[in-house]
Amino acid sequence: MAKLCSEAVCMQASALCVQRGAKLLLKEISAAIPARKVTLILGHNGAGKTLLMQTLHGLVTPTSGQVIGPDIAVQKMVFQTPVMLRCTASKHFDFLCPGASQEEKLSWFKRASLVGRMQVPARSLSGGEQQKLAIIGALASQPEVLFLDEPAANLDFEATAFVEEMIRWSAKDGTTIVMVSHNRAQAERLADHILFMDKGRLMEQTSAKQFFCAPNSDAGKTYLNFA
Amino acid sequence: MDFFTPLILAVQMLIGFDADLYEIIGLSLQVSLVAVGAALVLGLPLGALLASFQFIGRGPLIVITNTLLGLPPVVVGLLVYLLISRAGPLGFLDLLYSPAAMMLAQFILVLPLSIALSRQVFEGLHQDYNLLFKSLNLSWKTRVTTLLVDGRAALVTIALVCFGRAISEVGAVILVGGNIKHVTRVMTSAIALETARGELAFALALGLVLLFIALVVNIISQQIRQYFTPEDRYG
Repeated sequence: MAKLCSEAVCMQASALCVQRGAKLLLKEISAAIPARKVTLILGHNGAGKTLLMQTLHGLVTPTSGQVIGPDIAVQKMVFQTPVMLRCTASKHFDFLCPGASQEEKLSWFKRASLVGRMQVPARSLSGGEQQKLAIIGALASQPEVLFLDEPAANLDFEATAFVEEMIRWSAKDGTTIVMVSHNRAQAERLADHILFMDKGRLMEQTSAKQFFCAPNSDAGKTYLNFA
Repeated sequence: MDFFTPLILAVQMLIGFDADLYEIIGLSLQVSLVAVGAALVLGLPLGALLASFQFIGRGPLIVITNTLLGLPPVVVGLLVYLLISRAGPLGFLDLLYSPAAMMLAQFILVLPLSIALSRQVFEGLHQDYNLLFKSLNLSWKTRVTTLLVDGRAALVTIALVCFGRAISEVGAVILVGGNIKHVTRVMTSAIALETARGELAFALALGLVLLFIALVVNIISQQIRQYFTPEDRYG
């Protein structure tokens, strides 16, 4: 992935296409991800939100087009269903962030209210605890870009509040956040910038305020009526 | 002679710690454990590599490995014999009719087994971990190590299957070991010989030991699996 020179833009996608068999899943997507802001990718199910995020992160190789941005080594991704290794929560954290000291690790676990769960098998943590562990593991390595794929899906109020607090904190700390969410209220609370997708196309890229007040596209208007 | 007379004799020999019997048991375990250990050390990482990386020739390699699962032991014995006999390319090592030759034959026999079975285990695991591995930009060494550690419970079963194949093998070890008393006589070759000589008690004793070993190995592997898995989670 090539480097981007601009201060204001962290990542730039140019004419991205992803094709699987005969089906074009992402269609000519050109988008700019503003640096140190929270960008939300919105759209209906099957719009290509997660695929776009994975392509931006480098997990999916585009059929054509390119992504310019920081190296994958300084990017982190938290998946909708966190992948947990067969080890303790503490060791899983070490796997996600091998450079963290014991003190740093302890402080992150305290922050996530998981200190008492450090020696518990990661796979036996609740869904919310697993998501918290995945997020602190990603943030502890101080990434330049953090991708979050519906991080609060199926979480309770407390866990959702923690996830949102972490997103706000890391954005304030200078991390660029790219996130997929279906929760309109959450999107309005968190987003600075919106990428709205419909059927594999990027319909709008605008400020969150603009999108939620007056979306430009018909698809955007319809989406907000349902969301 | 009825069935029970040799059975009683067999038990007597086992309880009486018959020197010849225990020498054969010891050598059998030594040969098979070394062969299986070497096959696992080489085969498991290869299985993990095959499961987690796409490269040119991967497909044919998998087909070849799977085909070698059905490798007849006598064919392996013959190949190893040709390799290590005086006229063979490795003849200078003077391995023919030695325990090392039997280890080599058993190693060749169980290596495809350890590769093919571990590949299947790791493929499932890799499907779960692939995106995380890519996202963390992990090196191939870290990926393979993580798969090996996380697949440890299933690997115990693979080790068990390999050990079962190795210790119960007779054709290859007779060809390259020669079934020489006090040198290369192992349980299976001794059973074949003693049965041919009409020494059914001795043969039956060895057969009982083989069954007993299979039982012990199963119990141990089950214990190991249970230790690893109050849902396979601890590490």
